Amino acid sequence: MKRRARNESRFDSRCKIILLILTVFTATQAPSLSFLCGLMLLIALFSLFCGKGKAACVNLLVFTALYAIRTLALQMRPGGLQTMILSWLSLMYQVYPCGFMAGIILSTTKINEFLTAMTKAHVSPQITIPMAVMLRYLPTIREDWHFIKDAMRMRSISPTLWGFLTKPALTVECLYTPLLISASRAADELTIAAVTRGVESPNRRSCLVQVHCTIRDYMAILIFATYFIAMKFGGTA
Amino acid sequence: MIQFKDVSFSYSDETAMHNGVQNINLTIRKGECVLLCGSSGCGKTTLLKLMNGLIPHYFQGRLSGSVYIEGHKTADTPMHALSKFVGTVFQNPKTQFFNVDVDSEIVFGAENHGVLQSTLKSRFDQTLHTLHLEDLQGRNIFELSGGEKQKVAFASVYHMNPDIYLLDEPSSNLDAAAIKDLRAYLYQLKSEGKTVVIAEHRLYYCWDFADRILYLNNGRIENVFSSDAFQSLSNVQRIKMGLRTIHLEDVLPPERDISYEKNLLQVKQLTVSRKKQSILTDISFSAGIGEIIGVTGKNGTGKTTLLRTLCGLHTEYTGTLLWNAQPFKDKQRCKRSYMVMQDVNYQLFAESVEAECGFGLPNADQQRIEQTLCKLELDQLKDRHPNTLSGGQKQRLAVAVSMVCEKEVLVFDEPTSGLDYKSMEQVSGLLQMLAQHAVIFVVTHDYEFLCKTCTRMIQLEDGAISMDLPVCQETEAQLRKGILL
Amino acid sequence: MNQTKKGLSAKDLIVTGVFTALIFGCIMLGGGFFAAAPALTFYFPVGASLLAGPVYLLMIAKVKKFGPVTIAGVIMALFTFMTGMHPCMSLGYLAGGILADLTAMLGKHSSSKMNILSYIIFSLGNTGSYLAYFIAPESWVRFMLEGERATQDYVDLMSESANTFVLVTMLAGTVLVAALSAFVGSKLLKKQFEKAGIVK
Repeated sequence: MKRRARNESRFDSRCKIILLILTVFTATQAPSLSFLCGLMLLIALFSLFCGKGKAACVNLLVFTALYAIRTLALQMRPGGLQTMILSWLSLMYQVYPCGFMAGIILSTTKINEFLTAMTKAHVSPQITIPMAVMLRYLPTIREDWHFIKDAMRMRSISPTLWGFLTKPALTVECLYTPLLISASRAADELTIAAVTRGVESPNRRSCLVQVHCTIRDYMAILIFATYFIAMKFGGTA
Repeated sequence: MIQFKDVSFSYSDETAMHNGVQNINLTIRKGECVLLCGSSGCGKTTLLKLMNGLIPHYFQGRLSGSVYIEGHKTADTPMHALSKFVGTVFQNPKTQFFNVDVDSEIVFGAENHGVLQSTLKSRFDQTLHTLHLEDLQGRNIFELSGGEKQKVAFASVYHMNPDIYLLDEPSSNLDAAAIKDLRAYLYQLKSEGKTVVIAEHRLYYCWDFADRILYLNNGRIENVFSSDAFQSLSNVQRIKMGLRTIHLEDVLPPERDISYEKNLLQVKQLTVSRKKQSILTDISFSAGIGEIIGVTGKNGTGKTTLLRTLCGLHTEYTGTLLWNAQPFKDKQRCKRSYMVMQDVNYQLFAESVEAECGFGLPNADQQRIEQTLCKLELDQLKDRHPNTLSGGQKQRLAVAVSMVCEKEVLVFDEPTSGLDYKSMEQVSGLLQMLAQHAVIFVVTHDYEFLCKTCTRMIQLEDGAISMDLPVCQETEAQLRKGILL
Repeated sequence: MNQTKKGLSAKDLIVTGVFTALIFGCIMLGGGFFAAAPALTFYFPVGASLLAGPVYLLMIAKVKKFGPVTIAGVIMALFTFMTGMHPCMSLGYLAGGILADLTAMLGKHSSSKMNILSYIIFSLGNTGSYLAYFIAPESWVRFMLEGERATQDYVDLMSESANTFVLVTMLAGTVLVAALSAFVGSKLLKKQFEKAGIVK
């Protein structure tokens, strides 16, 4: 089994959030596509520094493919279809870099770091606790779905779209009943596990990983911010 | 120190399966190790909940008398304050972690209390070292086996360094190797002078560690034993008390003359893979009606994958499967086999016990359903919602479904986890009855249950069959070695 | 619980987290297909509201306080903002979440009609960015126009295809599908979950 190296290069959670916000601003306000391409390269670089080289390559490839689709679409006869494709692409172009960035951040941030960073940023536990639980529970949904699928098939009920269309009432019950019952149960047991370990404590949270910004964090923010400002004031000229 | 002063509690929730406790007077000294035993619903878990403050802070009901932990009255002390003195390890490893990665999970409690970063770190390293968890550091909890998850749960309590440890049936989902590790952890706590209270059904691994053994019945402490007195209980007395075996060495397979129709189900050169990675290679065996085959082996050796393949649920394989010498295709197998899952909740869909039996069947035979429910002692419960049943009843309901559908290959995935003696006996009887009409496979880590129930044991190791033996007195030594590792 | 009745307890917050994960999954599963296909993008809100009804109603029934829906809305808004969706999408979720929570509160969290209405409002939150499209379509295509032919042609085409028909279908579809989903949810709640003892 792979074990992550102890001194893995990691960025501070707050720095990551600032980078993400900068990315969102850059992507949504980019005056032209070339700025988005530049942004993609920047994020790929960041991804490399986070130890996610493979993700960087894959995402760059997908983005290139999107670029190619645009070139093709522009050669089409102008009309409703072309507009549809173009407006969809414009949405994708904006979303893609941010999604890429958010993906890297999610996969490199542990829940405790996130909770601590959020608490330091004075976000209310009313938001942070549900968010942490949500991140924890998403993989469980996938596990649950596999079990339910097996159980349905053993009862000769097809867990597919076709089954849903032919026997809607039956399929709906099969899906929601076990899924929601086990969700309620999990919520109860998670609560018990959390309150017996002091989740309601009024003390300020601490964190195993030292949450503080280093020179690397400032550098990263500086680079992304410079890019944003250059785009804002230099791009339209 | 833990003190109970004339404590009674009853749950207000009518659907709760527990009955509460009455007139408990008990003092547990610092450094004492206490084992709570008794059949399901006797009040073991309720006592633990009274100690960690979940009662009255989380579970509603009528409470009289008071419980003191290190001099604090639990009813007047908030949960987060109690959590500094009392740590609890629960039964289900799947739902007691709050984080996705091991490191955050271990330090979660101490982080909540705002312990200084340097202290966190040194205690974290010490925890990994003492509990031998270096290999798990940095891993994703979702990738871990049940036993490893339970170790992480233990570590997350250990990291908080409370004076009192409560363990609620911690071995329920563990195999023999993991139970051995758990035992070592218990001794570690004892050597540190911690107070430990453990509620268990499986007694063999922990009775000798206890300074005092409390036997509960119907919510009362009925008897108190020293470990010496406890171990000299005769089998008759023990069974009358509804307790699982104390000495695993005394458990022997019964005399059996084994004869059944062979070769009904044939598996030839089965190689199973998942996502193109082969998990099982070249598996061949045959089985017939009347056989109850115990499938054993370490976690992660592919027991479940093998049985999912048999049930037609896993289709990435090569090799031949025959039924009565005819090809036995995926779809047919899916139709004629049934798996009773470890977590039965996933396979109960309907709004009542009766509806469950006919669920999804276009023309369900009402008479047959009624007969089946009678046979399984579920007829009194037929209007109840399946979710309100006890674990054992849910399991029987799943079996009822398989009987109504006339399934011929039945698979049970760890049917005895968390069951007391009587329920285990019931499951065993149930399987023997089912074996008259079906081929039965049981994944189990439970040696006592295997001896009582199975006619044959197949052990998997490193993706192949490493042992295939009849369960009888001649093979006892090998069986023991196989299942207890 | 030892907390005041009004505020959300730790349990409420954890229930909210678990169910928000499910609602999020339902929205992605139901709407994902539409969002990724160019011609169907506008029907994302319709697909997105198909699956979450039963989950949503059970969440309200379990918590029975003001808060969980708003929190779900805030989390969805944060998620969409962080993944670079149109800012109006985040605004849509925020507004949808708060209004839906208030609606449920009007029915004291136990009126099935109000709860169904609440889910419809929550689902309309999905339409945020698409409404923005109809208000200012040219802002959507500006990347595409860079260095290409005259802008005016495209803008004309955009307004042509973004006609009232699509707008009406999207809104009416969302309301209808959401109502259906929530209706199924309230039936399931009565048939299953109340009997199962997971809601009181």
